[in-house]
Amino acid sequence: MLKYNFKYEWLLLIRKRWIQVLTILLFILFGFAVYNGTQKVDARNASISSAINEFKMEEKKMLVQFDSIEKGFKVNTSSWLLPTRPIVIGNLHPRVVNMPAKSTAFISTGQSDMFAHYVQPIVTGDDSTMNFKEMTSPVQLLFGSFDLTFVTVYLLPLLIIAFSFNILASERESGSLKLLASQPINIRTWVLQKLGLRFFWLVIAIIITLSLVFIVFGFDFKTSLTSFMALLSIIITYTLFWFVLAFATNIWIKSSAKNAITLIGFWILFVLLSPSLINQISNTLYPIPSRILMLNEMRSIKAEATKKQDEILDNFLRDHPEYATNDSTQVRGFYQKYMATQQLIQDELKPLLSEFDSQINNQHKLVNASIWLSPALIVQNSLNRIAGTSTEDYQDFKRQSLTFSKEWRNFFKPMMFKDEKFKKSDYKNLPKFEFSYANVNTYGKTLGLVILSSLILFLVLVLKPRKNQIELIS
Amino acid sequence: MIFTNNLTKSYGNLTALDNLNLEVKEGEIYCLLGANGAGKTTTINLLLGFMKPTSGNAFINQLDVVEHSKQTKQYLAYIPENLMLYPSLNAIENLDYFSGIANKNFNKKTLESILTEAGLQASAFYKPVSKYSKGMRQKVGVAIALAKDAKVLLLDEPTSGLDPKASFEFGRLLQKLRQKGVATLMATHDLFRAKEVATTIGIMKDGQLKQQWSVDDITLSDLEKNYLETMSYNTIEL
Amino acid sequence: MIRNTLKKETKELLRDGRIRMAFILVIILTIVAVVISAWHYKDINEEYVSAKQSEREVWDSQGEKNPHSAAHYGTYAFKPKYPLALLDQGVDKYTGTSIFLEAHNRNEAQFDEASDQTGLARFGNLTPDFILLFIMPLLILLIVYNSLTKEKEMGTITLLDSQGAIGFKLIFGKWLAVFLPLFTLLFVLFITTGIILSSLQDFGVFSWLSLTTLFLTYIIYYAIFINLVLIISALVKKSGIALVLSLSIWILVCLILPKIASNIAEYRYPYPSKQEFAANIAKDKKEGLDGHNPWNEASKALEKQVLKEYGVDSLSQLPFNYAGYRMQKGEEHQAEIYFKHYKELKTQYSNQSRVYRQLAVVSPFLPTRFLSMSIANTDYATHWDFADSAENYRIKTQKFLNEHFANESKYGDWSWKADADFWKQLPKFNYEPPTLSENLKHNTGNILILFCWLLGSFVVLFFTTKSLKNVKI
Repeated sequence: MLKYNFKYEWLLLIRKRWIQVLTILLFILFGFAVYNGTQKVDARNASISSAINEFKMEEKKMLVQFDSIEKGFKVNTSSWLLPTRPIVIGNLHPRVVNMPAKSTAFISTGQSDMFAHYVQPIVTGDDSTMNFKEMTSPVQLLFGSFDLTFVTVYLLPLLIIAFSFNILASERESGSLKLLASQPINIRTWVLQKLGLRFFWLVIAIIITLSLVFIVFGFDFKTSLTSFMALLSIIITYTLFWFVLAFATNIWIKSSAKNAITLIGFWILFVLLSPSLINQISNTLYPIPSRILMLNEMRSIKAEATKKQDEILDNFLRDHPEYATNDSTQVRGFYQKYMATQQLIQDELKPLLSEFDSQINNQHKLVNASIWLSPALIVQNSLNRIAGTSTEDYQDFKRQSLTFSKEWRNFFKPMMFKDEKFKKSDYKNLPKFEFSYANVNTYGKTLGLVILSSLILFLVLVLKPRKNQIELIS
Repeated sequence: MIFTNNLTKSYGNLTALDNLNLEVKEGEIYCLLGANGAGKTTTINLLLGFMKPTSGNAFINQLDVVEHSKQTKQYLAYIPENLMLYPSLNAIENLDYFSGIANKNFNKKTLESILTEAGLQASAFYKPVSKYSKGMRQKVGVAIALAKDAKVLLLDEPTSGLDPKASFEFGRLLQKLRQKGVATLMATHDLFRAKEVATTIGIMKDGQLKQQWSVDDITLSDLEKNYLETMSYNTIEL
Repeated sequence: MIRNTLKKETKELLRDGRIRMAFILVIILTIVAVVISAWHYKDINEEYVSAKQSEREVWDSQGEKNPHSAAHYGTYAFKPKYPLALLDQGVDKYTGTSIFLEAHNRNEAQFDEASDQTGLARFGNLTPDFILLFIMPLLILLIVYNSLTKEKEMGTITLLDSQGAIGFKLIFGKWLAVFLPLFTLLFVLFITTGIILSSLQDFGVFSWLSLTTLFLTYIIYYAIFINLVLIISALVKKSGIALVLSLSIWILVCLILPKIASNIAEYRYPYPSKQEFAANIAKDKKEGLDGHNPWNEASKALEKQVLKEYGVDSLSQLPFNYAGYRMQKGEEHQAEIYFKHYKELKTQYSNQSRVYRQLAVVSPFLPTRFLSMSIANTDYATHWDFADSAENYRIKTQKFLNEHFANESKYGDWSWKADADFWKQLPKFNYEPPTLSENLKHNTGNILILFCWLLGSFVVLFFTTKSLKNVKI
């Protein structure tokens, strides 16, 4: 039976122009989505590299000045802007601490429109208020972007529904089912084969169009083959899930109109309702702690600290004798005072901030666990991970850049306290930053989707056993 | 070939088929007459295994249709009242597909000769079925039966909606199959066609087989008289 | 004939189990959404009140301090939530709720909800606006899609035609049969919200007029949808095709076009990245007057000018503390720089808005979306308005502090401190959101487009169904 189904399903799909229309549609959707994604990634990379260029230009100027100073020439700069002052290097030549786009970033806008892709921590900066938010119109954030994730999560299921909702019902309604049923075959198996074949052809169409689009946009298959495979496998399993759902409704529900409405109902449930419901429920049950209340507490702590600024400095030097200078006058500049207070304020804020962070992390963990309630969420999450634009990636960036910020500050601190000069030879010892993405493995989620699909299939096969095929016909 | 033993189908209080005992042997054409709702289609659906009998049994080629649903379907062919094929496929392809899923593989030449045998003009073989008349579609249905080498043919009002010429041709086809030894059960309203092709004629009413004649024992006008009497008996009773 | 059709259609709808189910589901969802939003709304408002109060306390109890230290210490402006946010959250999730007001710098609003949430939040929340904008049109689609195709499939349309039925009257009857229950549902929802909101205390100014305008906006939106789906149902032969077509239109109008609009808007009128924006401002600042830096060229020019104006030789002879004066001048200059850069940003934003309005011609969702959140004061324009008003307050605060420093202390006396009571004299920050008429004026384009959609769809519906002969084919 499979051989004949295979041969004639292909003929039917070609003659009804299903294959042609689907392929063209997929090509347009994938193409437009990838185009949009690439635009965004280009803008992101351009802004990073322009910042780096700017930095390099300033750096070049500064190094020239250094050369002149070390050769004993006079430099035409105000004394407080001379690169021999550590504060000048630390504050006016901050590194571009950046998060370069992954080669797969165009797949999913994810959170990339919300968070900044580079920061420039300075010595006197305040880590607790360092802003990682990108400047984006909130309307854009509200509407989202037409990217590959949107096409996959929202639109692909609708194509599948249109492609599969009336496999059995249309035969029943046109009358050809009776002739079929009088053949020595099992109708349930027949439906399964038909749907399996449509799944097969759709998968082929997806693989071809997606690869084509990726080739057109110059995707580097050599270095990012594993990401591409992960992407394909998650899209294919998501497709499988919707086909299995279509199989269940085909078996359960008689009329094609009801089939269509039921499947659309599932789509509304999984893609529209359950994400917003889960989001709403988890936010209600495990609310994100209030930033505003945190701010209030921070303010009180800071207020206390600044009131005791002079006292603080003395205490600080008592705790850190290595920063005390041998200068008997013990005259302290503004920055020494400032740094000491900042340090203490940060120490005092630490428990508050870390409590806040751990609360947010717990909430995120719970929310991330709830993605298993909707396949749409699993796919969105996986694609964001593959693209390196998920919340986790941006948290990673935040963490790594804060660590760097601390290293940067600690590098200059001793020099500043001891009123030492910054030498050109110190320059090469400056801390360097390179963002490293966490290893991503979405195969667990792919497997989860496969298991979910098999479970539904199993349920259908058990609840609608073979012998009941009489029901399918009438 | 076809044999039913006290075959009964009821839906709650309504008895659609009441203890039907029927036998159609090889090379016989049995015509079931009766008004709508008399139980003709129910009989055919039971024989096809499309529904389960409430009690009693039905056999095709000595096999119980409920227990050996798949095997019995290998011996039978069915032509519903309005035979629908895949409109975008042509006759050859439809025939190939339906025989294919019944595990009968033929080459193109054989398929063409089967269609010719079923009376379809060669010029139509490669036209999509969506352009076919009902009579032409029925011929493809017969071809499917031929291809399957069916021993039993179940027909549900095959001549309704056919023009007289097509109906005549269809009768000729049935005779041809009869000579091959096919046992045919045909539900119909068409007394004239029944008298033409049948070997045995039965009249059904309220799920029961009321009367049965060998075709040689009754004239067309007697048949009509008997038919109308059986039916109006009902109205008098009401 | 309209009444007859209305009666028959209503009966049919009431007897259809699926539609009953759908209606019940939508009602349950709406209740859940309203209840959850009300909780959220209440929490946020309580937070707002307490944060505002405690921030003011922190400010008031600074003790003796140099006014410029206080200026650096700064204060916060908090953004309140407005009553209709209960119905439409708009972009609130993505805009910051507090702005740090300090010397020399205009800061962006920070602490938006979305950046603390996971990617899941980007799907949207189950809020009333989600139901009003997305789910209700789907409900309309489900009820209306086969309203005419059904009659065609059953052949009853021929029967109706032979009875001399007039096309558009029949359609209008059907139209009303869908519109009236929706109207009732929406009416009940809005009245309930109105009652809840007017019974709550100190939650901003709630106006029934705004609520009514919002109600009308959605009524028009739904009327457009009913028209569109009826047109499809009239033009198409089979219910299945009508369903697929109407659904495609829904997806296109509500999901795809807004996203495409956002992509086009961003591509054509990009915002600078946060760092670029900051760098541009820093560059301008560097070239201009620096309140802290007496060696800066602009500072020197100012010095000369002031000395000349007062006819004295040295800064210490001035009747005020020149340090405070220079600080204030520097502040004003920086405020101008910010004004310039934010104006550029605003130009980009209004260009983007124009893109959205242009695409509104193909999607009635867009004007409704913008109008709705504008009426609810949860749109981007309101956020801008808030940020601007916070900036004005910041400038005023700086002036207040610098003038005090200039007038009360002597030149060179950096260790001078203001009284502990002085801080209380600073007026409180009070923000009034744009009024309804301002909002409507701002949205004239959207209102116009929405009315065009309403009128246009009615006209097309009228002409496609004027005679049943057109519908029959």
